[in-house]
Amino acid sequence: MTWRSAASVVLVCLGVGLGAVATLGVVVMRDWQDRVHYAGVAALGVVLVGLAVLVRESFSIIGDKALVTAVLMLVGSPIANHVILRSGRIRTLGDWRRNVDDQIEAQ
Amino acid sequence: MSQWLLGAAVLAVCLVPCAAVCFYAGPLSGLAALQVAGGLTTSILILLAEAFRRQPFIDLAVVFAALMVVGGIVFARILERDL
Repeated sequence: MTWRSAASVVLVCLGVGLGAVATLGVVVMRDWQDRVHYAGVAALGVVLVGLAVLVRESFSIIGDKALVTAVLMLVGSPIANHVILRSGRIRTLGDWRRNVDDQIEAQ
Repeated sequence: MSQWLLGAAVLAVCLVPCAAVCFYAGPLSGLAALQVAGGLTTSILILLAEAFRRQPFIDLAVVFAALMVVGGIVFARILERDL
């Protein structure tokens, strides 16, 4: 077994493990805001799986596309999670600004 | 069974609880579960592409990752208003 194969096995195990942890978190957590955090964990799992393919195949066609997928998830997932949390805050509180909590308590 | 196929099988099983949360929890929790399921599906497509050495699967993974981000943003903007 070469070091590339060993590293790819480790990365795949870590990526799949993070996916399983994300699923467990979504099921166990009760609040929707807590659940959104685990979407980031799942995205990190995708990055590790993509890196596993890149380590195994080096910079080939499949390796490059795995790298593109990992970068897409690394950049896009935090943006999507932020928009979800912002929209959820607007849906539940009527406004996303921080001082809405204080105004509600004052009322 | 290689580690790639084994990982894809484990992640495919993980899709079932995410679908259950989508069906039975509220809309915002369902959207969070949908995002997690999208990440799992992207991982599955990458793992299957490497296991079977099929190029189209990795193309699907790239497209799916991009559409998952856009879809999540669109769903969030729709859920912002009361349905």
